[in-house]
Amino acid sequence: MAKVGVFVCHCGENIARTVQVQKVVDFAKKVPGAVFSADYPYLCSAPGQKLVIDAIEEHGLDRVVVAACSPQLHEPTFRAAVAQAGLNPYLCEMANIREHCSWVHRDIDDASAKACQTVTAAVERVKRARPLDPVEVPVTKRALVIGGGVAGIRAALDIADAGHPVVLVERQPSLGGNMSRLSETFPTLDCSQCILTPLMVQVLRHPNIELMTYSEVEEVSGFVGNFKVKIRKKPRFVVAEDCTACGDCAEVCPAPGGNEFDLSLSSRKAIYIPFPQAVPSIFTLDADRCLNANLDSPTGFRVLACVKCDEVCKPQCIDFDQLPEIVEREVGAIITATGFDLMLGEQAEECGYGKYVDVMDGLEFERILSASGPTQGEVRRPSDGKTPKDVVFIQCVGSRNPEHGVPYCSRVCCMYTAKHALLLRHKVPDSRAYIFYMDIRAGGKGYEEFVQRAMEEERVMYIRGRVSQVIEEDGKLKVLGVDTLSGRPVEIDADMVVLAAAMEPADKGEIAGTLRIAADTYGFFKEAHPKLRPVETLTAGIFLAGAAQAPKDIPDTVSQASAAASKGLGLLSQDLLQRDPTTAHVDETVCAGCFECLAVCPYGAIERKELLDAQGEVYREVAAPNPAVCEGCGLCIVTCRGGYIDLEGYSDDQVFAQLGAMGPPPEVMER
Amino acid sequence: MTEANVTVAESGTGSVPEGWQPHIVALVCNWCSYAGADMAGTTRLEYPANVRMVRFPCTGRMSPLMILKAFEQGADGVLVSGCHPGDCHYVQGNLVARRRFTIFRSLMDFIGIDLRRLHFAWVSAAEGHKWARVVSDVTAAVSEAGPLPAFESPEDWDGVELPSVGDGGPQELTADQLDLLRANLRRAASEVLAAKRVGVVIGYGAGSLPGQNVPKLVTDSSACEILDWGHGCVNNLSTYIGDALEHNDRVAVVVKTCDLGAITGLIREDQVRRDQLLLIGMQCPGVHSGSALAAKCLSCSGDPHPICDLVVSVDGVHESCLDPSDAALDMPDARDEQIAYLESLPYAERWRYWQRQFGRCLRCYACRAACPLCYCSSCIADKHRPQWVPTSIDNAGNSTWNIIRAIHLAGRCSGCDECARACPADIRLDLINRKLALEVERQYGRVGLDPEEKSALIDFRMEDSEEFIL
Repeated sequence: MAKVGVFVCHCGENIARTVQVQKVVDFAKKVPGAVFSADYPYLCSAPGQKLVIDAIEEHGLDRVVVAACSPQLHEPTFRAAVAQAGLNPYLCEMANIREHCSWVHRDIDDASAKACQTVTAAVERVKRARPLDPVEVPVTKRALVIGGGVAGIRAALDIADAGHPVVLVERQPSLGGNMSRLSETFPTLDCSQCILTPLMVQVLRHPNIELMTYSEVEEVSGFVGNFKVKIRKKPRFVVAEDCTACGDCAEVCPAPGGNEFDLSLSSRKAIYIPFPQAVPSIFTLDADRCLNANLDSPTGFRVLACVKCDEVCKPQCIDFDQLPEIVEREVGAIITATGFDLMLGEQAEECGYGKYVDVMDGLEFERILSASGPTQGEVRRPSDGKTPKDVVFIQCVGSRNPEHGVPYCSRVCCMYTAKHALLLRHKVPDSRAYIFYMDIRAGGKGYEEFVQRAMEEERVMYIRGRVSQVIEEDGKLKVLGVDTLSGRPVEIDADMVVLAAAMEPADKGEIAGTLRIAADTYGFFKEAHPKLRPVETLTAGIFLAGAAQAPKDIPDTVSQASAAASKGLGLLSQDLLQRDPTTAHVDETVCAGCFECLAVCPYGAIERKELLDAQGEVYREVAAPNPAVCEGCGLCIVTCRGGYIDLEGYSDDQVFAQLGAMGPPPEVMER
Repeated sequence: MTEANVTVAESGTGSVPEGWQPHIVALVCNWCSYAGADMAGTTRLEYPANVRMVRFPCTGRMSPLMILKAFEQGADGVLVSGCHPGDCHYVQGNLVARRRFTIFRSLMDFIGIDLRRLHFAWVSAAEGHKWARVVSDVTAAVSEAGPLPAFESPEDWDGVELPSVGDGGPQELTADQLDLLRANLRRAASEVLAAKRVGVVIGYGAGSLPGQNVPKLVTDSSACEILDWGHGCVNNLSTYIGDALEHNDRVAVVVKTCDLGAITGLIREDQVRRDQLLLIGMQCPGVHSGSALAAKCLSCSGDPHPICDLVVSVDGVHESCLDPSDAALDMPDARDEQIAYLESLPYAERWRYWQRQFGRCLRCYACRAACPLCYCSSCIADKHRPQWVPTSIDNAGNSTWNIIRAIHLAGRCSGCDECARACPADIRLDLINRKLALEVERQYGRVGLDPEEKSALIDFRMEDSEEFIL
């Protein structure tokens, strides 16, 4: 028979005001198995904890119920206290008589009756608890970083600098991400590429970083500290080690088309390097554009219609026979930094995007402003190459628009639009910049001052209101809107229109699915807790950085990347990980092998195990949960019709006993 | 459920004892609703003290057995609360649970549990106000419904007359045609045995009474003359596959179209592989229940299904084997009207109807033995620690058993009616099974004959309906 001690906390007056503590103490004595009960004004205080520890020793208690506040607060405190007294920490149970009782009920009799019953249920539950030991798993001391934008670069460098190997995977041919497309950065007007490319080079040279560009994460299995990752290296058709990036191949290549890096404002050949500072500096042959059909299909019939690049390549590094390669890596931590795309939806179309070439999005305008861009930094519009004089910037295109876009604020548009207008005024001094805005959100160091500078020094015209339509008339883009401050309609004849389109996650569910991490309605990865665990996911060992988690600017992205790296380092610095032992267990002797548990498990924690007979032959397959992977959700347990699976800490036996103690209040407790 | 029967519903006992207070058990998940209730406390929001809470890691850990246990222990109402869809700490626990609870709720409704007693809510860790509101609303609703009616067989009650099922059924076969079918079946069986395509044919032989048939296993190609076919071939022979496979690599089974769902289920649930089976699909004249056609046959054409490997009809024996992913199994049912009639009754009437039915249960578990999909080596009903299903033959234990049996078959039951046929107490298990099958199909679409498809209750969609969840 268990010997349970019940300790009831007054919490000063917080509990004692509405719950008759003495009544609870007396009632607890009558619960079968409870051999001791006591109360104390503040159990969580040092003397309170000592009371518990002393009672365990004095009365030989083997189970403890603490009737006090929410287990979310003090369960760790009392588990540690009972452990100090030599009990297994999982033999301590909290009965929440504060948040769920004294604070929400006014009637003293009702509250006391509820407290008595809550304590009874906790005693019944803890009587059936089993001592549990943390599951220990070793840690693979290597990290995977997904995404080679500034977030991924920063996180990879931080971990590598701390001495751990890192695998950095980027799906594009070069590192850099969206930041490498930007011209200058607000509010300091640093040249974006000038501050980013040194980091890119550091990554390439870092002895601890294995860089895989033009590669994608295909499969992730395993669990915290022990992930197995399959990465698909797409064929470049260029031998990376031999390429000198001389560019002879691109010169002769007869297959031009838009350059995605410049958002098709410039062109590139089928064999190309996306931008001059690309890292690694290797040419890539785009199989979709190359005149040689079916290059990337290992089984397709390939026709070598053109070998011009091969003919001129002096180092002989063109290899039409390259195949996709799957490489496997074991890692202990994963940082996801997959970044953002711009969302050009319904509202962008109303503003003429896709219809008029001189209506562009913010990133396209960044390329036009950039010294490495298609116009070498001169502001010239795409349609006729003329320098625009009147430019209208429209903010919140898609953002903060629940009907035709997304309800959230994309956070960076106010600032980059101010920067766009300011740079336009710098580069074209006789130009006029108009900005349609809903509100100006310039919360950041030096941000408000920057907007003021655009308004006051550069005389950028801010119009509070929305644009209903952009139409072409007499060679001008007529922007029709309304000034909501004066209530008057506004018409501006513009030479160019720039839309601050909403940010959306670049990952459209593939990475979230591969990693089995949660995403919100819009596809942004979900953090474990918005305030207290902002860079962790709910899947242990997977961390978040950058705009893949929510729209954010470069300083926030870099901070978050370093935070994610430090979280990852915290994990990699341990030799053994302790995992919560509240995991699922299968009774192999009766498992019928329907494997519906395996089908519902969100973590792939259940494996098929072959049972062998005396001759060593398989006679049955049964389900076997891996305690190192199991998160203890309990989905499998309810799926198992025979009741052969159980969950430590929340066993059927415990729940049954709890429910049994929760019938209508017995007479003694009624008034 | 219609709007009308909510308003006419009355408490089962009719009278409410003085000073009665509703007793409510809440099952809450640790990460959202428990924390939401904490938040209500921190914010000092007052709500009724009638609720007792049990904490779980996830709504996915909460079993219908627990709700039943709460009712059995005297709860007048149960509240289940978890994270909003998309917020689950375990990614999808609440989404799978949502399907389970949707179906369980419709069963509770069907057997006469007033839905004002059973509530589901999504309350996040930030929604302290919502928690307080939900508890207040649920307490008010349960107060309105009154004390839980007793689990007892009603006395002095006239019962209800279910509408008759009408007539119909497969085309009548003449004696000559039946003889032809038997001859074709014997030939087919003999050939597959002689060619060593299978080690045994599971079929029917003549029983000891005229018109009765019993399962027969034939292993010798020359002994196929004992195989019989006719109105008496009632059994679903898929129950014998497991045992037959212990001694043979491959077995042939003589099947009616109504048996196929069970076989697909067995394949889907890893109990047998399709390549271990040779299905001999029979043209069926319908089977008899007593002297009349069984209810399941009334809307059946009797044609053999093309997913069988061999199809035996009056015309002869044909190789078939349609890809199951292209196959449909459309089984309308003449009893749907009886279900609709029961659903039109007020809760109290429904409760009495089913309590009288369950009151007759002998706990012989013939339903379990006859069910091809009840293959567990040890049943939850026989489990002692904890004893979810009380072993005593009273209405509470009987109700729990019959409800759990139905829930365990929800989304899986193939409608072969073997349980109802085997029941010596004539409990209308067929109506419960059919009701749940209709509900699963209405909510989640039909799962066909493709074993690759997941069955509905282990699957989920983000957009699954949840109009009843607070």
